[in-house]
This record gives sequence, structure tokens and C-alpha cells, in this order.
Amino acid sequence: MNNYILTLHNLVKQYQSITAVDGVSFNICAGEIFGLLGPNGAGKTTTLECIEGLRVPTSGDISVDGLHPLHNRRELRKTLGIQLQSSSLPEAILAGEAMTLVCAYHGVKPREDLMQRFGLDTLKHKQYGKMSTGQKRRLQLALALAGNPKIVVLDEPTAGVDVQGRAELHAAIYELKAEGVTVILATHDMAEAEALCDRIAILIKGRLAALGTPEQVTAAGSSQTRITLRTRHGSLLKQGSIQKASYLGQSEGFAQWLCNDAAPAVMELLNAAMSQEDPVDDLRVERPSLEERFLEIVEGGKTL
Amino acid sequence: MNAFLSQIIIQLRMDIRDKGTLLVFYIVPLGFYAVMGAVFSSVNPEIKPILSATMAIFSVTMGAVIGIPPSLVKLREAGTLRAYQVLGIPNASVLLSIGISTLIHLSVVCFIISISAPLLFDAELPQSTGGFIAVLAALLFCSTAIGLFIGSTAKTQSSAMLLSQAVFMPSLMLSGIMFPAHLLPQPLEYAGNVFPATHVMRAFYGLAYRLPTEYNSSLALLIVFAIGIVASAAAAWRLGKITRVA
Repeated sequence: MNNYILTLHNLVKQYQSITAVDGVSFNICAGEIFGLLGPNGAGKTTTLECIEGLRVPTSGDISVDGLHPLHNRRELRKTLGIQLQSSSLPEAILAGEAMTLVCAYHGVKPREDLMQRFGLDTLKHKQYGKMSTGQKRRLQLALALAGNPKIVVLDEPTAGVDVQGRAELHAAIYELKAEGVTVILATHDMAEAEALCDRIAILIKGRLAALGTPEQVTAAGSSQTRITLRTRHGSLLKQGSIQKASYLGQSEGFAQWLCNDAAPAVMELLNAAMSQEDPVDDLRVERPSLEERFLEIVEGGKTL
Repeated sequence: MNAFLSQIIIQLRMDIRDKGTLLVFYIVPLGFYAVMGAVFSSVNPEIKPILSATMAIFSVTMGAVIGIPPSLVKLREAGTLRAYQVLGIPNASVLLSIGISTLIHLSVVCFIISISAPLLFDAELPQSTGGFIAVLAALLFCSTAIGLFIGSTAKTQSSAMLLSQAVFMPSLMLSGIMFPAHLLPQPLEYAGNVFPATHVMRAFYGLAYRLPTEYNSSLALLIVFAIGIVASAAAAWRLGKITRVA
């Protein structure tokens, strides 16, 4: 692929004796949603801050749509729309004033379309300090888009947002992708990353631990399938391992097994339940989720 | 330029919406002025003729030195400066818009005091309106610069408040606003020269009211401007340092 809009090569960032980012490299294609995952202190925010021109890398190369984050700061602000994780506008500023101000610095008219799109048109006269977390996040996203950026960086955009707010932000991110905007999404939420991202990178202790589509990253871990089964009389709770699956244990009446081939294992379990005339209330066959793979990587601590 | 003008207008509106800022810029100075005019000038008649000048010094010093620093520190602590930076709003324009907005608010207060003091409290009109305006301009510039410097130097809001009080209280007590400076013990009278309010007071005496002063009132005005220039440069340097990409 050669339509990379952002390239990061061997990025290193040290704070005195601490290496926050240690030789991270990845490329991001134009128009994709790229997830940056990792536990606290993994180096996600530092990596993003280097991309945003808010930190000086110790070494390594970064190119954002052909721009150097430190040498082309003014142009970068037009190319990159940024929603920071921990930032705030003045409490007394009105939503409409914030949009007017940001648009004035981008040399465009106040973006009424964005206010409408993010449900902020009725909140134009509301002070930032009196807005809910979801409303603040929506306003920050709208402001990040005010200059029509090619790339949008979202650092934990749904942190502290309710279910409806989350759904609205997810819909907005999909719309951005449909418009061809590249989205870099840093998140702790594996379900969010799995649902939204075309590709993800997992950082552990400043190093790249996994890179690929959510499916590729998940598949690279344990290949075993989990079977969860609940019967009316609980006859299988003491069944233990069977020929085709190893028993994991039980919780609240649900017994769990791990197997390499689901079909014969499920058949064997169903036969066992039927032979004891115990009706099956619930049966689930699940591949490991991205979250489980993430935990596996974090606990293993292995990097690429 | 249009963007910067928008920013100043928005900053002016935000200041009025913010109860804390409103209190420090308008309510407390005007309330204190009313009390001083009605009560204290009867106790200390020497103050009465120059009430406009003394209350302008009080209001401007309070508004700028007490009002600016906590709000500037809050902008840093809350990550607002970073948010503005990534949204394409330069830190320098944030600092300037706060400074200009403060100048405008405090000019309004000084205007109210200057107009009402002769009518309400029999204060004398300045002998030289131009001199009065020149000294007032120097006072506004210098106090705002000191406020910006404290705001960009203090690490926390509480340390900003301490630093502000360390400038404001001696300015009030040693400059001759509350009582004549010559009544102070000599070491304190000398110490008063550290604070711009003392020189502003002398400049008002000489340039606006044509009263005798201990030294050249034009020199006093120059000292005030010089302090303002040094404080502005130091504030810009401090803000550059704390927001520098590292």
C-alpha cells in the first residue's frame, strides 16, 4: 500500500531515564480508522502528542500528510483536527462562541453545519461549564473538525460519555470515514476498537505489541473456542473435561469448556445433557474477543 | 486580525459572565470606592481631593493583580491553553486577549470613578486631564503586565493568590492610597518605592493635580512604564517557557 497519510518510523521519546515510547513504527492509510490501544502508561498519549507536534521526539521520523509536526506546525493545525483527552475550554465560553473563535483562526465562517450535525445548534448559548460530558465531547469533536482536517485524532473520545452519547459519537466517526477523513482513535474500550477500527496497534510499555486488523490481532492469540452451556438441572456442572473439550469451570450455573473444534465438542456436550434428560437453556459458542487477546498480550508482555 | 478581534470580544463577554471576574473587576472596587468616598474621606480629608486617582489605583491594582493571575493559572491547569493550541489559537493571542480585555474593563471602572467622584464626593477635577489620562494609561499597562507575569509564573492558583497578595497589600498600604506615605516609618516609605502604585501616586500628584512631589513626576511616570515593559517581557518569556514543546 502506498497511500499512507501518516508514517511513524522508529519513534523514541525519553523523559530523562524513562523511555515512554521505544522504537514504535506504523503507517496509517488515508481514510482508515486506526486504533491505538494499550494499558495506562503504554505510551499512547505520548505517541499522539509527538504526532500532534506537542512533544519533541528523542529520535525517529514522523510525517503527517507530508508535514513535519515540529517544522510545519501552522500547516499541521489545518491538516490535523485534534480532540485531546484531558483538556477543557473556559467555563464561561458559549458553545457558539467557541465555534466562532476556532473558525475565525481557521479563516472560515462559523460552521453551523457542524453545530447541527452534532446536535449543538440548540446549545449555542449554553456555557461550556454547564454542559454535560457528552455535550462537551461533541463540541470538542465539532471544533476539531472546524478547519476541515484530513486527519482527526481522538484521544479517549467516549470516556465518561453515556450510552446514547457513545452511539452518537460512533455514528459521527463512521460519517467521517465515509467522507474520507482519516481517524486515529486512542481508546481503552476494546469493544469500541473492535467495532470501529479498520486496523489497530497495541502498545505495551512504549513498544508495539500487535498491529493489524482487529480480526488479525485477535486470531494471532489463542485459537481455542469457548463453549458456555447452561442446563435446567445443572447436570453438566460436574461433567469435567470431555473427549473434545477441556473443562474451564462454572459460574452461576454456566459451565465452560475450551476446544479446538467446536462442532464435535458441542455434539458431545448436547448428547451428555440429553442422556441425562436435562433440557439445555442456553448454549454459546464464542471465539476469543479482542479484549481477551488484549489481556493476553498485556499479561504476556511480549512486543513485536 | 479579525480572529484576534473576535477573541477579544469573546474574552470581554466571558469576563462579564464569570462571577469571580465580575466581582474583582467591578463589584469590589466600586463598592470600596463608595465606602471610601462616603466614609473614609471624612476621616482622612487629605484623600478627598484626589479620590479619583487613589480609587483608580486601588481598582486597577486589584483588578489586574488579583483578577488576572488565578484565571491564567486555571487556563493552564485545566489544559485550556493546550486545547486552544491544537485548535489553532496561539498562546500569545490568549495572553494578549486577556490583557486587553482586562484593560478595557478596568478603564470602564476608572471612567465611572472619575466621572462620579466630583459629583458624589466633592473630589477635585484634575488640573490636567491629559496628565491624568497618561498616568492612568501607565497604571493600567503596568498593573496588567504584573498580573500577567504573576499568572504565567505561579504554578498553582493558591500560589498565584499568595503572589498577588504580596504585591497588592503592600501597594495598598505603602503607596499613600490609604494614608499619606510620609506618615510611614522611613524604612517602609523606602520599601514602598518597590511598588509601581507608589510612583503612580506621585505621577498623579504632579502630572494630573499639579501638586508638589518629592521627585520629578515625569520620572515617576517613566518608572511605571519601565516596570510595565519589564513585566510584559517577563510574562511573555514565562508563558513561552511553560508552553514550550519538549
